[in-house]
Amino acid sequence: MGYDMTGFPFLTILIFLPLATGLCLLPVWNCRPDLWRPVALAGAIAELGVACLCWPAAAAPAKGAPAGFFLFEDYPWIAEFGIRYTLGMDGLSLLLVILTAFVTLIAMLASWRPVIDRVPLHYLLILAMESGIMGVFLSLDLFLFYLFWELMLIPMFFLIGIWGHGRRIYSAIKFFLFTLAGSLLMLLAIITLYLIHGSQTGVYTFSLYGLIGTVVPHSTALWLYGAFLLAFAIKFPLFPLHTWLPDAHTDAPTAGSVILAGLLLKTGAYGLVRFGYPLFPAAAATLSPLLMVMAVTGILYASWIAFAQSDMKRLVAYSSVGHMGFVALGIAAWTPVALSGAILQMVNHGITTSAMFAMIGMLDERTGTREIDAYGNVWGKAPRLSFFFLFFAMASAGLPGLNNFVGEFLILTGSFKVSHLAVALAGIGVILPLVYTVRLIQELLFQEERRPLIIPDLTVTECGMVVVMACLDLYIGLHPGPLLDMLHSPVAILTGGAG
Amino acid sequence: MTVIDLWIAMPLLILAGSALAILLLGAMVPGNHWTWAGVVATAMAAAWAIQAPPATIAPSLALAATPVARLFAILFSLTAGAVLIISHRYNEKRGITGEEYQATILFCAFGATTLSMSTTLLIMFLGLEAMTFGFYILVAMELKREVSAEAGLKYLLMGAVAAAFLAFGIGLHYAGTGSLSLAQALQAAAGNRIALAGWGFILIGIAFKLSLVPAHLWTPDIYQGAPAPVTALLSALSKGATVAMLLLILPSGGSDTIRHLLWWPALLSMVVGNLAALLQTKVRRMLGYSSIAQMGYVALALVSGTTGGYRAAAYYSVAYAIMSLAAFGAITLIERDGAGDSLEEWQGLGRRNPFPAGILALALFALAGIPPTAGFTGKFLIFTAAIKAGEIPLAIIGIITAAISVYYYLAVVVSLYMHEPGDREEVFPALPESAVLIATGAAILVIGAFPAPLLRLLAAALP
Repeated sequence: MGYDMTGFPFLTILIFLPLATGLCLLPVWNCRPDLWRPVALAGAIAELGVACLCWPAAAAPAKGAPAGFFLFEDYPWIAEFGIRYTLGMDGLSLLLVILTAFVTLIAMLASWRPVIDRVPLHYLLILAMESGIMGVFLSLDLFLFYLFWELMLIPMFFLIGIWGHGRRIYSAIKFFLFTLAGSLLMLLAIITLYLIHGSQTGVYTFSLYGLIGTVVPHSTALWLYGAFLLAFAIKFPLFPLHTWLPDAHTDAPTAGSVILAGLLLKTGAYGLVRFGYPLFPAAAATLSPLLMVMAVTGILYASWIAFAQSDMKRLVAYSSVGHMGFVALGIAAWTPVALSGAILQMVNHGITTSAMFAMIGMLDERTGTREIDAYGNVWGKAPRLSFFFLFFAMASAGLPGLNNFVGEFLILTGSFKVSHLAVALAGIGVILPLVYTVRLIQELLFQEERRPLIIPDLTVTECGMVVVMACLDLYIGLHPGPLLDMLHSPVAILTGGAG
Repeated sequence: MTVIDLWIAMPLLILAGSALAILLLGAMVPGNHWTWAGVVATAMAAAWAIQAPPATIAPSLALAATPVARLFAILFSLTAGAVLIISHRYNEKRGITGEEYQATILFCAFGATTLSMSTTLLIMFLGLEAMTFGFYILVAMELKREVSAEAGLKYLLMGAVAAAFLAFGIGLHYAGTGSLSLAQALQAAAGNRIALAGWGFILIGIAFKLSLVPAHLWTPDIYQGAPAPVTALLSALSKGATVAMLLLILPSGGSDTIRHLLWWPALLSMVVGNLAALLQTKVRRMLGYSSIAQMGYVALALVSGTTGGYRAAAYYSVAYAIMSLAAFGAITLIERDGAGDSLEEWQGLGRRNPFPAGILALALFALAGIPPTAGFTGKFLIFTAAIKAGEIPLAIIGIITAAISVYYYLAVVVSLYMHEPGDREEVFPALPESAVLIATGAAILVIGAFPAPLLRLLAAALP
């Protein structure tokens, strides 16, 4: 393919297009309610289009960029502190950028009917969050990264707090404080690293590729990496730092849950892969057993707790903790195969869990309850809805042929060399989700009706949405080749030392 | 008095002269329109201070128009102008009449500017007291409210004690060294027991003005009791002027002892201010405690004692002035329309009064240090300077308390946006007020996201 894209600021557009679309809502804020949804949706679709346009660019590396990056933008920003506006896209970023654009679109469609209160604000926040997440996935300057990292919290805080259910305010504040506390310590670590590098070389810079290779005394490096790990592990979320997640998920509106599970959790894993390991390879290697223990504990613990949940959203939230545990395991192993699997699993989990939350949102909207006990015989009432529910639940549980299986398989294969025990235990974690998923499916879809709920079947729009997601699940499950090819070069570069 | 003297003193002459003129003419032509005369005067003073002077020092006046002094002169003048604008309708509604209000605000700006331009301890003291004297009047201006009078009395008593400490300290310094010059004050005091004792007293006075723990107890009461626009002025001017004063004294070198005396107040202010703010149920009282904590961060920057630290302190005091102006400007509008001061009465304001609530939320996020606001950039500069200077324990405590502080700022945002509004109607602010609030809101974002010009300015001013 290879058409010339040098000089065209794709990455800046990716970051600011959603925000600009959101600001377009301001003139029609009080009048023209008919324009709110179309404008926001058009922005999200355009964003997905731009994201997909970046795929062919992968053929040729960008000039002046670090190895593996095919789109690159670099401008001075705050010269006094060596802060630059540096954006870069490699295969890893590309997959997550496309996932972000896609999941945001799903979130928007999922809130199409349920959100009737303060609609333009709702869409403005979703779009602002998309901008923040794009920024996280594209920044190659630590200051810039940190800026986006915190920026994406604010819209989510409002989404949960304004449109949430139950103890929405408690959950919103808990979410914000948990993630902020971790990231503030990371800020201290970033500044310390910047100063160490500056005093050694005389060059004060926040550039990731300037800071990689800084010689930090091992004991200091452990502290600094620990601060990064804490920030990322909270976002991940890894056991035992996960307690904010079930609350946030349960009380968030559907769009919030979809973005939270589909995207925000990925930023933690991404941060660890992009920043944590490359900046502090030795410290990361020292602490990788800890990460592995957290991962495996998370997988087992989350599956166990998920089994006891009566709220569907909470159940899926705990299953997310388990799935992200697999991602953490893959990263902790840091072999090419395991890391590819981990990144692929991030994409898989993004799609499948978004779909699960979207479907639960549909059920909730129809019946007003998410209690599993309230349902029964949904298959008889809404067969199409039930079919897709079953499909995504099976994908989530790791049924071969569907996408999650591929990721889990690669992670386990790749980690086997590193730790037999961890893989053996995680292997149990592959089976456990089947237990609670089958129970969920059985009670929800096939058991006798317990309450006379009226459940209309999927509408055409909803059908279109879930069919697309189901096709993606199937495609990645059966033919993950193109995605893995895309990941090949960044993973090889990242694991250069270990591989 | 030479031309250069006149040039350098011109902003002061404009501010003081217009204050006197308003008092005189106001007696003949009473009315509220003197607000606009005051705004013009502050704009003129700021415009004059922007130009580079032909010479920096006016020795016969003991004034200097250094770049830092000019920066603060502009900041103080503009703040006073903005406060005049947001006071206009508030005063009409609250029954604060008379031209002495405008004149006193100009007088405060005069005092603060004098302080930042001073070259001797004596002029510094006079400037500080001129400013504080204005605040004694302004805090108690709302005669019909009991809290306002109470706040006025408290401020007067505390301020008088602080002034006594300062004056006594300056006296001791003079007795010990025989000089009142600011530039070499710390060097002259080094090793001189009497002068160092004097500096101990001076620092206590300064701690009062900055409301550093343990000299902080007056702050929440004043923040709660004073009229809202006055609180904005107090917060921006009095703190800014005191930081300006420290920036005149500390960078000149000399003994580190004096700087290190700020270590404990910095630590305690960050901890006590933030923890006490957590317990508040009234917005203004919470902001009072928050200001204690914010000044703790500034003290942390000063403790680090590097040029980076001084620049960070200067940046943060500018940022804090703007953030306070935005927050209290919004509170002025909200309270003018009858909301009480407890959080419960503020519920749902985000929907009923979207504009002031939005600005208040932005200011609170800035105070909490969320990017890309000036509050974040300021904290970033402070922590960078502190770590560079090796003050790592203080930096870690600072960042942990900053994380804690987010809770109480969020609590206000939650009240504004996540509760159903009461049945009051939406109110629309007047155009000049909106302009001030929009300008402060934009300034919070602009100097936060693009701090390079201001940093370059500070780098030139504080080499």
